[in-house]
Amino acid sequence: MGRSYFVDEAVEEYLSGLQAAPGSCVTGLLAGQSSPQRDFVVLAVQTPHRESEGQLKAPKGVSPLDDIDVEWVTEHAKQVSRMLPGGLCVLGLFLVTPPELSKDAQNALKRLIFAVEKYIIKGRLWELSEEDVTDRVTLHICSKTKKLLCKTFDVKDPKSSAKPADWKYQTGISSSWPMLTCSVEVDLQIPVTGSSSDNTDKCMKDGLRRWAKQIEAAYCLINGRQALDDSELISGQVKTLSFLCHVDSTFELRHMFEQSELGERSSALVQVCSGSMRVRGVVHCRAYIHNNKPKARHAAQAIKRDIINTVCSRVEMFLEDLCINEGSQKGLCSGQQALPRRVFAPMPISGLSVCDYMFPDESTADVAERLKEMLDCETPEEDIDTIFSIISGFEITDSQDDDSSKHVSEIQAENPKIQKPPKYYAGKLF
Amino acid sequence: MVYSEECDFIFRLKGILEFACQLDNPNGVQSQSTISKSFQDLRSKVTSKNIVFTVCNSPVLIWPNTGFQSSVESLTEASACGDILQWIESDDGGSKKSSKKKDKKKSGPTVVNMKLLFEVTEPAGNTAPSLIRVSTQQHCVKMPLPLDCALSVTTDERLETVCTGLVEALNKQLADMEEVVLQYRKGSSFLVPQPFHFQLPEPAGLITVVYPAGVPDSQLQAVREDLHRKFELPCDRPYLRRANAFHFPDAAYKDGYLRNPHIHLNPPNIEDAKLYLVQGVYSYHHYMQDHVDDNGWGCAYRSLQTICSWFQQQGYVETAVPTHTQIQQALVDVGDKEPRFVGSRQWIGSIEVQAVLNQLLGVTSKIMFVSQGSELATKGRELANHFQTEGTPVMIGGGVLAHTILGVVWSENTGQIRFLILDPHYTGGEDLQTITDKGWCGWKGPEFWDQNAYYNLCLPQRPKSI
Repeated sequence: MGRSYFVDEAVEEYLSGLQAAPGSCVTGLLAGQSSPQRDFVVLAVQTPHRESEGQLKAPKGVSPLDDIDVEWVTEHAKQVSRMLPGGLCVLGLFLVTPPELSKDAQNALKRLIFAVEKYIIKGRLWELSEEDVTDRVTLHICSKTKKLLCKTFDVKDPKSSAKPADWKYQTGISSSWPMLTCSVEVDLQIPVTGSSSDNTDKCMKDGLRRWAKQIEAAYCLINGRQALDDSELISGQVKTLSFLCHVDSTFELRHMFEQSELGERSSALVQVCSGSMRVRGVVHCRAYIHNNKPKARHAAQAIKRDIINTVCSRVEMFLEDLCINEGSQKGLCSGQQALPRRVFAPMPISGLSVCDYMFPDESTADVAERLKEMLDCETPEEDIDTIFSIISGFEITDSQDDDSSKHVSEIQAENPKIQKPPKYYAGKLF
Repeated sequence: MVYSEECDFIFRLKGILEFACQLDNPNGVQSQSTISKSFQDLRSKVTSKNIVFTVCNSPVLIWPNTGFQSSVESLTEASACGDILQWIESDDGGSKKSSKKKDKKKSGPTVVNMKLLFEVTEPAGNTAPSLIRVSTQQHCVKMPLPLDCALSVTTDERLETVCTGLVEALNKQLADMEEVVLQYRKGSSFLVPQPFHFQLPEPAGLITVVYPAGVPDSQLQAVREDLHRKFELPCDRPYLRRANAFHFPDAAYKDGYLRNPHIHLNPPNIEDAKLYLVQGVYSYHHYMQDHVDDNGWGCAYRSLQTICSWFQQQGYVETAVPTHTQIQQALVDVGDKEPRFVGSRQWIGSIEVQAVLNQLLGVTSKIMFVSQGSELATKGRELANHFQTEGTPVMIGGGVLAHTILGVVWSENTGQIRFLILDPHYTGGEDLQTITDKGWCGWKGPEFWDQNAYYNLCLPQRPKSI
């Protein structure tokens, strides 16, 4: 009894349209959402062409399979993960080979899937829970017969062997998936000890990790009720989403004090620091949940992970960029700099959106270019939703047509007592 | 003003807020204003719209600063605060077992525990995220502020009033904490400010005082003197030492001893008589506790332990209740007994009790001698006076037994008297039901005493201190 993958027809279209040079292979990613009962695939993207730096690399191995640039595939997977909102992730890989390589394709896929998983989770600030599905799908496509072979590997177990899985095409898999959004205020003060850039990175990581734990432990209210139990989330009825964090910030303090000491601590902890870093501002978060009897707490988990990912990604990108620009001087300069801002864009056909991050000196044209390169899709610039345009205290977004905006007007009629100015962005009321 | 005796509920709100600040120069002039600024930020936080109260063990969430919103539709600002109870899941899964005896009393106000939360999805602004780096050397100070606010209310008090009161209390507590932090700071050494609740005589009721952690009571004398003046408290007995802190009815005592079992009894109904009882809190010490088998010889030791526990819990001493060995050693130290007394099973009497109280606790006691047990019935006035002025438990030894007297019901006119006795000869476990049902703590008449034996009573005197 293997897993069942329900795949959007748009993916079928994409895969059949792939052109592989004769005798060569095409690798790519598959993205979507897993649930304990079944999995949904909504996106397929081939690995972009890597621009070799000058010299042409001579084929290393005997077969084109050996030429697969594992490092590049994993890097692509990581970039794409950053572009997926909450609830969605890289679920697996596909590999198109000529018929003579089909036999060895399985080994190649196994190597790749483990490498990809390992690279994606590096630096992630949240752990998989027991309920998370750890099977990843590998799809082999014969370039001549177009025959598909779908198998899964459990990436938790390096010794696991391929298990058969079902691959079924359907229309509009994600067309009515509820979208959850919220804006979260972040204000983290992180002391920096030591002066090297490695220190800065480590302090930042530690600080973010503690904050991530606070988010994971926060109460999540969907429609005003705590999303704790197995109650079902009825599609289209997510009107409000809020997070309440414990003010008992022992996650912060536990780093400083032994847990047992916390109650008996009689004096403050004072560290001499070479400086401090503060991450401050409002982040916009988005997550999707499948509509096959989803549970409220899975929705809560999806959006929590998105909150954590978006802050982590921005900081990572900023620090990487800094490293390139400032070199070894990082950590010695002061000042306030904007972190990359999040923008959303519609995913080809599926009705979901993807995101990207824009540095202050970039424009939507740059975003469109990146979307083309990483996700192999054309996005008109006007479709790129920059969210952060504020007009006189109201926040207006050009979100694509979905159920939530209709709900906003309904809610206002129902609850005339609520005094706050109504906000029109999707999914949130007071 | 709500009088605590009439109050049905205590709403208790807790949360550990993190205090953090960066000091460029801990000894510089700027540091005080930096610290004050951090406290100001925390005060803004608790008065902001994003503060949420959650009622423990319930789905109730309340936003007190947004014109009162709650997660439960039927609870509005006008709801009586007692309505909250129906939403709280109690630990014992049902109503408390009703006591069988009709002379058992109510156990005091119901405590509603609440926690502090912040909504992070209601940002006040929409500033895009940025990273601010400071590269000067700084002292990074982090400290937990253990906020703990309590409000006594009657059951029909509006929920909104309770919540507003709690927000005010949070604000005030932060201000008090700031004062304590600044006062006791030395450079970059900060002491954690800790709140303590005290139940004062009316009209003050339940108040909260913030003391610096690690500073012993003995060094806080001046602070207490000020507070005694402010609340018009007598200057000869402690009300505000840490040991005097209010014990919330829903909290268990960690040491496992029963406290004041006598409050579960109704005093005898004697015409024209008045009730004179021990004041404050004591622990019930009796045979076989602490893995010491003193059955048959330790009764006076246990009565002495009960008395020591009283002095500790009223804040007069910080030393722990002495063991049998420590009691015996104290008697050797004062020259009353030979060294081989230590480790023996020899009885002690009122005189020894007086000597030990003096040696270990610095407490003086009066001795009352009664030549015949039947005479005890005539000592009503002395005992009444003792409980009124000193209010300490009394150890009585005579015949072959020692007991503790916790109070009397006495009529000045008719001379009728009953004695509230705590019996150290009980060998069972800390079962309140058994202890009260079987009279191990109970009211006895004059016939309880051996009419022919002589008795000595040890009446401990309160030291005059705060």
